[in-house]
Amino acid sequence: MTTTITPPAPTKRPNSLGRLLRTSGTLIGFLAVILYFWVKIPNTFMTLPNWLNISQQVSMLAVIAFTMTIVMVMGDYDLSVGSMASLAGVTAAFVFKQNHGSVESTALGVMAALIVGLVGGLINGVLVSLVGIAPFVATLGTLTIFSGTAFLVSGGATIFGRDIPTPFSSFARGGIPVGMIGERPLLFPNLTLLALIVLVIVWVVLEQTSYGRRLYAIGGNSEAARFSGVRVRTLRLSAFLLTGLGAAIGGLMYASRVSSANPIQGAGLMLDAIAAVFLGMTMSEEGEPHVLGTLVGVLILGVLDNGLTQLKVDSYVREVLIGVIIIAAVTSSSLSRRRR
Amino acid sequence: MIQPLLSLRGTSKSYAGSPALIDAALDLLPGEVHGLMGENGAGKSTLIKILAGIVAPDSAQIMVRGQTVSIHSPSDSFAAGLRFIHQELAVVPSLSAAENIFLGRPTPRRAGLLIDWRRLNRDARAALDVLGITHIDPRIGIGQLSIGDQMLVKIAAAFLVTEETPTNAARIIIMDEPTAALTDDESARLFRVICTLRDQGGAVLYVSHRMDEIFDICNRVTVMRDGRVIASLPIQETNTADLIARMTGRQLDALYPPKDPLIDNASVILSANNLTTERVAGITFELRAGEILGIAGLMGAGKSEVLRALVGADRRLSGVMHLDGRRIGRGSLAKSWREGIAYIPEERRAQGLMLSRSIRDNITLPHLGAMSRGGIFVNRARERRAVDHLGQVVRLKSQGAAQIIRELSGGNQQKALFARALAAEGEDAAGGLRVMLLDEPTRGVDIGAKADIYTLLREMAARGIGIALASSDLGELIGVCNRVIVVRAGHQTESLDSANLTQERLLTACYGTNEEHSA
Repeated sequence: MTTTITPPAPTKRPNSLGRLLRTSGTLIGFLAVILYFWVKIPNTFMTLPNWLNISQQVSMLAVIAFTMTIVMVMGDYDLSVGSMASLAGVTAAFVFKQNHGSVESTALGVMAALIVGLVGGLINGVLVSLVGIAPFVATLGTLTIFSGTAFLVSGGATIFGRDIPTPFSSFARGGIPVGMIGERPLLFPNLTLLALIVLVIVWVVLEQTSYGRRLYAIGGNSEAARFSGVRVRTLRLSAFLLTGLGAAIGGLMYASRVSSANPIQGAGLMLDAIAAVFLGMTMSEEGEPHVLGTLVGVLILGVLDNGLTQLKVDSYVREVLIGVIIIAAVTSSSLSRRRR
Repeated sequence: MIQPLLSLRGTSKSYAGSPALIDAALDLLPGEVHGLMGENGAGKSTLIKILAGIVAPDSAQIMVRGQTVSIHSPSDSFAAGLRFIHQELAVVPSLSAAENIFLGRPTPRRAGLLIDWRRLNRDARAALDVLGITHIDPRIGIGQLSIGDQMLVKIAAAFLVTEETPTNAARIIIMDEPTAALTDDESARLFRVICTLRDQGGAVLYVSHRMDEIFDICNRVTVMRDGRVIASLPIQETNTADLIARMTGRQLDALYPPKDPLIDNASVILSANNLTTERVAGITFELRAGEILGIAGLMGAGKSEVLRALVGADRRLSGVMHLDGRRIGRGSLAKSWREGIAYIPEERRAQGLMLSRSIRDNITLPHLGAMSRGGIFVNRARERRAVDHLGQVVRLKSQGAAQIIRELSGGNQQKALFARALAAEGEDAAGGLRVMLLDEPTRGVDIGAKADIYTLLREMAARGIGIALASSDLGELIGVCNRVIVVRAGHQTESLDSANLTQERLLTACYGTNEEHSA
């Protein structure tokens, strides 16, 4: 509460039920989906191992979607994250291969991939904020460039097997023991842990720092933000840098999980990441992206994937269903958000 | 007794229990321009929205020419003969004026298929001519027209006569602050069209905050306050002071608080010497502590651009600027805010506010660095204290700092921008507030909020802050400023001190002596 005077003046505010439905419709739908799978797959779905499995399955998408949220907060997009993920994976693998998969090359490869992510993000940022190209167009261009580069670096082939150092591939298989299932230890996956760390960092950056507040201001009205002393161009550039870095981390996680790298393995990540942010946006009052909303979006996609696979639903049907859900969530929230 | 074209009885509406309109009654007679005045939140908008079919009233009796009509939707409203001109015009910029006139109406066609361009343009021409709008070619792309001319096209569109719309439809038009975005010349042209409509037996309901307009063109005026119609009276029976008293419910002795005399040896805070950007040249002045410096000029003469040059929004090509005796190099907006130069831009919605963000976010944005731990982590407690305090200083009416700023009235949004500027003051800012640069700070603001803003300006000046105020409201410049500089066609032409500040002197200076009307 504040001490400012409250007038009797009638500002039109929606009643609390409408507001609740509007912002938690997506969450309610998510819980309904979980309930459905729980009933349909009583033995395996609602178990700790399955949820740990889901968390690992979505961890790469999660990292990319979390960092995608950073640019979407400003009302921008980065369409190049998928091909950047591929390029980062291939870059690391290329370095590994040059060193014949030696253990010592692990750090070198990872560093190279992260640098590629930053450079890619820098290119996007310069195009968008300094050159002034619309993000959609600029990152569509770099999507193709990164993808082509990934093919060039890898020679179009998958790098795998002995070329991948053991520490790199064992990272994704490892985890923190949290219990036992029969003989085998139950692990809290490293990939999940990494995604959680990225989540916390992005949350702090966006919600707790002046930097995040300024990004939201740019998203609200970049012209007004500029007139309020916000360095819009610098901030936009830096945000694309972070998204590029996130894409590279996601790509490394993917390569680690499959112990290999090829130039197309990140292809589907971009659309899923944007979808996850959109799903999250339906949960906020003003329709702005928030990273916790993105988390729910990622989980919705992951749970659907997991549950439908267990129900042995055709993967094509799965894709149709996910598309329908995204449209339904965005539709319902925009219908209830009609103002004035 | 003449039968009213439109009459409204017992119209009430409440939102979530709080009444916005209480038993309102209004008669609109043929051949009159009827002013509708009231502070923001007085119920004008609700009344208009009910007529437009956008808001459903709790109770209402609406009659057009004595016939009761029921309005449940915008199309009902249209069918009843009601037409609306809003501040923000809905035009399709890529189409011609004629096509915009026919927007939403059946397009004349040949053989029911091909567009009959000749008839379309002829009918559009006729619709313009009827209102005496002869200077607009209906074939021109509407995007190329000025906002004022676009508005004239929309008015012509409102009264387009086609086979489907009989000529004897009631000519009732409701205009909601139509001049808010118009230049003086455009406004004059609009008034001519309004008079034509009036003389043809139409009726205009004219909503405006501008007193001079009300007295220039209205025959009668209706005043609203707190959801009620307070009075409807012929314009001859009232005056500015009377209207203000009725609107606010209190006697405003004077809109402008008394000026404090400038201290002779007050230190110079901001000085500009021959400041030149791509759009203004030769800006030279000294702004002293506690001084309010006005910037006058016609629309487009470069008032805003002077402020933009000072704040660093436009690149400075030459000239020297000093703040507190220190030379300022190539400035930028970010740097200006940091050094205690606060800026309130002209376009409140486009340049000032982040409408989807909270009051708090809007106020503290330029000062986040100072309000954060280590310049990084936002200190919310400190932020809340500052916002609460500033809300009181500027007399902001809101439901709290977390309220989305879009929901506030125009006057309160403007006060929030003042709070943003003032936030540079106080414990939380590094250098403290030194200079405020204000561009049309009272445009579109109701009279009560205006008075609040003027009082605030005086208070800030009394605390030794220098204020530069660009305004097209000459009365405001005269009432508030210690000194006024005049810009004409991008050049500073004159500097008038308090003793020489009269309406006539200012107008003459704005227009220039050698008839170079560059507006």
